[in-house]
Amino acid sequence: MMEVCGSTNVSLREFGCEQTLLSRPDGSASFVQGDTSVIAAVYGPAEVKVSKEIYDRATLEVLIQPKVGLPSVRERSQEQCVRETCEASLLLTLHPRSSLTLVLQLIHDDGSRLACFLNAACMALMDAGLPMSCLFCGVTCAINADSEIITDPTAAQEKESRALMTFAIDSKEQRVMMSYTKGSFSVHELQQCIAVSQKASENIFQFYRDSVRRRYSKNL
Amino acid sequence: MAAGFKIAEPLEYHRSFLKENCRPDGRELSEFRTTTLNIGSISTADGSALVKVGNTTVMCGIKVELTNPLVEAPGKGFIVPNVDLPPLCSSRFRPGPPGEQAQAASQFIADVIESSEVIQTEDLCIERGKLCWVLYCDMMCVDYDGNVLDACIIALLAALKNTKLPEVTINKDTGAPEVNLEKRKGLNIRKHPVGASFCVFDDSILIVDPTAEEEGLSTSHLTVVTDEKERLCVVHKPGGTPLSAEKLQECIGRATARQREIQKLVDKVIHSVKTAQ
Amino acid sequence: MKDTPLSNCERDFLLKAIEEKKRLDGRQTYDYRKMKITFGTDYGCCFVDLGKTRVMAQVSGELVAPKENRPNEGIMFFNIELSPMASPAFEQGRQSELSVKLNRQLERCLRNSKCIDTESLCVVSGEKVWQIRVDVHMLNHDGNLMDAASIAAITALCHFKRPDVGIQGDEVTVYSPEERDPIPLSIYHMPISVSFSFFQQGTYLLVDPCEREERVMDGLLMIAMNKHREICSIQSSGGIMLLKEQVMRCSKIASVKVSEITELISKALENDKRARKAGGRCGFAESMPQERITALKTDETSVEMTDASERANDIVENAEVPPQTVPSPVVPAPGVGQVGQGLQNTWGLEEEEEDGDEEEEEQKMEEEQDEKEDSREGDVVEISDSEEEEVVILHPETQDKSSKNAASSSNQKGGKTSKQREKK
Repeated sequence: MMEVCGSTNVSLREFGCEQTLLSRPDGSASFVQGDTSVIAAVYGPAEVKVSKEIYDRATLEVLIQPKVGLPSVRERSQEQCVRETCEASLLLTLHPRSSLTLVLQLIHDDGSRLACFLNAACMALMDAGLPMSCLFCGVTCAINADSEIITDPTAAQEKESRALMTFAIDSKEQRVMMSYTKGSFSVHELQQCIAVSQKASENIFQFYRDSVRRRYSKNL
Repeated sequence: MAAGFKIAEPLEYHRSFLKENCRPDGRELSEFRTTTLNIGSISTADGSALVKVGNTTVMCGIKVELTNPLVEAPGKGFIVPNVDLPPLCSSRFRPGPPGEQAQAASQFIADVIESSEVIQTEDLCIERGKLCWVLYCDMMCVDYDGNVLDACIIALLAALKNTKLPEVTINKDTGAPEVNLEKRKGLNIRKHPVGASFCVFDDSILIVDPTAEEEGLSTSHLTVVTDEKERLCVVHKPGGTPLSAEKLQECIGRATARQREIQKLVDKVIHSVKTAQ
Repeated sequence: MKDTPLSNCERDFLLKAIEEKKRLDGRQTYDYRKMKITFGTDYGCCFVDLGKTRVMAQVSGELVAPKENRPNEGIMFFNIELSPMASPAFEQGRQSELSVKLNRQLERCLRNSKCIDTESLCVVSGEKVWQIRVDVHMLNHDGNLMDAASIAAITALCHFKRPDVGIQGDEVTVYSPEERDPIPLSIYHMPISVSFSFFQQGTYLLVDPCEREERVMDGLLMIAMNKHREICSIQSSGGIMLLKEQVMRCSKIASVKVSEITELISKALENDKRARKAGGRCGFAESMPQERITALKTDETSVEMTDASERANDIVENAEVPPQTVPSPVVPAPGVGQVGQGLQNTWGLEEEEEDGDEEEEEQKMEEEQDEKEDSREGDVVEISDSEEEEVVILHPETQDKSSKNAASSSNQKGGKTSKQREKK
């Protein structure tokens, strides 16, 4: 029953984040994990189309723009994942009958893109100053052929892995907000990946905290 | 009175049932609706199945066609799943191009096929680099009452098991494929993925197999797909309120039981057709 | 989402300032805003910052069948995407007037000027050619999207390298960058678009209008030119009449601007080439500013996972083990099957089950009343019909009791199943 998972490659690539880098949106952020980069922009709360109006909360729209070509079905399903994660953490009831738009532009894909989308989205929402009940972060875990867990895999590592899982972890109790998996794996492996992701989320939240602290500091 | 309460305060109405560990339609929290399966429902398709989970009805038809494989993958065929949620099945869907839910469902089914390896695309190759099969798996929802993903997976699995590929020989002189429609053989189904969907009410109460109403009122959805070897193929939770790892484990346990139940159902129905012939 | 309209005060103020030869950002009439060209991690990815306007271009190549009337020419495809990121007024997936205008102008600027050797993109005549696709994404709209887009597109095309291909007989193999060095496109010249905006029926002219200025302008003149002072396309829009002298003057200004921009592009390309050769890391991640308080970078961090395995074990072991036995399905007719439910039912139906078909029927009806729609009833009744017959035959066989207990976790439908199974 007990499966041994190696723990050699458990590290997160270098992070980078810049907020307020675009002038037009109400909130924007770029998030970089290794070479994977995403720019996120938030507009709102603003006027909403009558057909999309919800009487007791704001309508959140998430758009994911691929680098080449038009958004496909894959982007649609990732949009759904990001949107529902944001909806759960945003206090949408504070802005009834209004619209929020979150646009995510992929800049470079080198693995863990859904996780990077989530992190960029969270930073942009923070930058826009929208009220949230908790923060969230995305962590991708890959299980390679030797049953080793690799966090924050690169595109090459993703290709070689036999299972890939992306989780969104909340900042309050480190529970799973979103999960998106590929490939087959055992229950044990899943639980192990969740535990690792929860650990990794601590590092990411620390990074969030540091960047916000830096932002409101008086000097560099 | 109860009807008025239900319309005015749908969430309170459901809560009052959940407090007593049951649901408005009489089910327990971890109880699935009656699942009915009929295979071979469409005589013109190469494989088909109709699944009812409570009121939710999904029809799956499989059409096979010959095509050329891709240059990048010369030894592989194709499986093209598509989930259709027409306005016919519920007033929530509008005519026109597929909406977000239909697209997300199609992607989900594609993920299930790929992750579970229910069919290996290598098996669909007839001649390397020249000829292969493409399976168009169209799932159409006829009646929408929640949990359409589970119904789609069952319909797909049963339809794939029902599919018979005609024999193809390649004429040595002309190089043209010759299809013998009389001689057919079944697909090689390697795994039996079955899904179980859950909804979270008020951030804490887990219910299984939600109806459309429950889906609308809940704060989070979760679908777990397992195969017969108790391996997980997909754990899909598109956001929503957070769940702890322990709760997730509960769902997995329930999904494993569901897998056995449905596999038995599918096997038995397939068997009944064979014996009847 | 709608764009915020410009108030009359702002409009009057802007026009008055232009009359007084002043611009909001302190520029002179013929000044361009600060331009920055950076490159992405892979070949053919370019960012252009023009003041606050920000544009990204990505070039990609793919092997396709050529057009029938041009069997030995590659295909160029341009697409300007007005992403809603750039401005709230842009909508996803809708062809607006502006996007059509920009796309047409870019095509005329880069395709019709024949600046790219399309014949060198042919692999097998009439069968396989390269299709070069240029996607331009607008990231931030602060005026003069056209100039930024044309600079980004041509720079990305210069930067792009396509994979090498080999032909053996009928087979075409595409080599990965590790196997053979990728090949750059052959570009004859670099057309660059320069925009002029006119105010008060052409009395005043400004180069590189920002978003505010674009809103109050009367007309726009776009001249695409290369550094050899050849005009590739010229377009006037907005419905103003221009004098011959005005156009001549604009083209003179354009030639100066184009040579400046071309120099900047070649410098940027050279810098990037040097950086790549040196083996240093390049791309978006590296171009992030370090000295701003809004930006932060950290190094690679490791994740503590010593107790992950134990935690996972605990959770798996503490969880309830799913039951191994499951209820058997009913098969009322060949090709049809039904399974009632899964876990135990606390309604105490098991006892009633044994009481015979009449009560069972009642239970069934009761359950059906719970169902909201009648549509289901049809097929259930059919099942119960067939069952009734079967139960009549079944009754003399008393040995079914044991099997019923085996399936005791099921409700009445599960029980029904076992009866039927035995009949078979």
